[in-house]
Amino acid sequence: MKPDRWLPRLQDELAQAWAVAVKDVKVYYLQPGMIMFGFMMPFFMFFSFSVRREMAAELGVARLLALTTFFTAAAAGPFIIPLERRLGTYDRLLAAPMSLLTLLLGKAAVGAFFAIVVSAIALVIGVAVLGVAIARPWLLAVGILLGSFSFSTLGLIFGSIPTRNPGDVQMPSTLLRWGLLFISGVFIPLPEMIPAARIVAYLSPLTYAQDLMNHAVPGVGLLNPWLDIGVLLLTGILFLLPSLKMHRRSRKLGY
Amino acid sequence: MSCAIEVNDLTKFYGRPETGVLAVDHISFEVRRGEIFGFLGPNGAGKSTTQRMLTTLLEPTEGHIVINGHNLAHDAYPVKRQMGLVPEESNVYAELTAWDNLMFTAKLYRMPRSERTDRAQALLETFGLWEKRKVKVANFSKGMRRRLSIAMAIIHKPSLLFLDEPTPGLDAQSARTIQNLVRQLNAEGTTIFLTTHQIEEANQLCDRVAIINHGQIAAIDTPEQLKRTFRRVQSVEVSMEPHGQPLPDIQAELPEATSIVRQGDKWRLYTKDPALLLPQVMEYAHSHKLRVVSLSTLGPSLEDVFLEITGRQIGTVHHQTPATVSQQQNAKQTVAADET
Repeated sequence: MKPDRWLPRLQDELAQAWAVAVKDVKVYYLQPGMIMFGFMMPFFMFFSFSVRREMAAELGVARLLALTTFFTAAAAGPFIIPLERRLGTYDRLLAAPMSLLTLLLGKAAVGAFFAIVVSAIALVIGVAVLGVAIARPWLLAVGILLGSFSFSTLGLIFGSIPTRNPGDVQMPSTLLRWGLLFISGVFIPLPEMIPAARIVAYLSPLTYAQDLMNHAVPGVGLLNPWLDIGVLLLTGILFLLPSLKMHRRSRKLGY
Repeated sequence: MSCAIEVNDLTKFYGRPETGVLAVDHISFEVRRGEIFGFLGPNGAGKSTTQRMLTTLLEPTEGHIVINGHNLAHDAYPVKRQMGLVPEESNVYAELTAWDNLMFTAKLYRMPRSERTDRAQALLETFGLWEKRKVKVANFSKGMRRRLSIAMAIIHKPSLLFLDEPTPGLDAQSARTIQNLVRQLNAEGTTIFLTTHQIEEANQLCDRVAIINHGQIAAIDTPEQLKRTFRRVQSVEVSMEPHGQPLPDIQAELPEATSIVRQGDKWRLYTKDPALLLPQVMEYAHSHKLRVVSLSTLGPSLEDVFLEITGRQIGTVHHQTPATVSQQQNAKQTVAADET
């Protein structure tokens, strides 16, 4: 296809993805499910596992930032897509002249946006209230952006399960999120893990997000930060593939 | 290219071969440009499944769909730009205002800013929602949501509009408003594909109707032609005084009546030959000391045709039996014979 044909189409698709994302932000930011699972859960988790434990403020903020990007970004897809399917509004999006990938990118942008906002709040609390200094701000920015994108596309996988009931999706997605949380070096740092547990931790993208936050805030990570960046970017893209496949299956099943 | 929609051998099977459901069974039909095409059928007949396949929301198991010359399986993008969809449930965003709902839809169709604001204003004024444009849709009545849903479906001026059950549940005034809008859109050149089980609505609006039953097309024709085909479903409507008292042995004493249904203060007597039934009715009234207040013969309505084709007993709804299946198959054969 010549550039004069695909370029306008690409511009259209990007604008449509943006329109979907902006609409979703307006519609869902005050929904109880989003507030509970997306905005409050990471703070609950942080305080449950961090209060009354001796830990440097910098490490605490790095942990909180990893939690906010992970929980908030991964909560949007499993909540929004089944709800839209149930209300029938998803049909409007599927019938619109845009590709499935564009629709999914728009949905991924919503989760990422929410995660960035909640992480920004956590960061402000860390810097203004706890007086934490950020060792490498640019790594922090990249970490929040890539972590939010990667975990948002992870959430889309669950949102793509063919069902109209958000409850059917919340259970497996919560199970996976909690599982990842405890194997990913968030509450037990990687250097303190036994070798077998560390191998399992390397399978989780949250491990790389936490390590990147450790590089960015206190300035001490275990892995190469470029490896962290590469893994988050790659998983962000790879997680879209099962979502695309499940959406095509939904089209066969009638969801 | 005179066809807006060409459907060939379209089939949808849900589930595994041994336990699944054949929802749509190798149907073929055409919708001409500029017509209002009604798609009628009882619940579970395959109407919505067919419409979802036509609107790219559901993938067919077999068959081909060509819309405005584009094969939907390979070239859906231009078709999506040319069509609008009003689903059965008004799929509007309750948390947004009417204006924001329209703006969002217009952005999905990449309408330029000035065009989308002009068009949104015109539609909101036409649909009587301009004063409520800044109100969240959560506060709208069902009729207002329905109108907004239609406005969202046509904001990009589609050449083909799919309407799924547009009026059930609405008050008479809202239903009339929507029917007038459908006529107006059609007069402006929009092809309308109307899925409904409101038979009278199809009778009043549609140029042609298809009746689908058990996943198969049972008949396609103009409403009047279908009525002519089923002229054997005629009836005599009689009102007798005193009202409300039981009519003893009426079925036995009116052997020409194939089915008798009470409708308010009147009785509707279905027959194959009104000329033979009328004297029996007068004789019955005389022998039971009843006064005939009104008496008229009626041709088959589209509802009669629909019920005849879909195998339901006229005037009642009952579970399907082998006898009614046989009756339905006879009806199909009649239609097929008339079409040939």
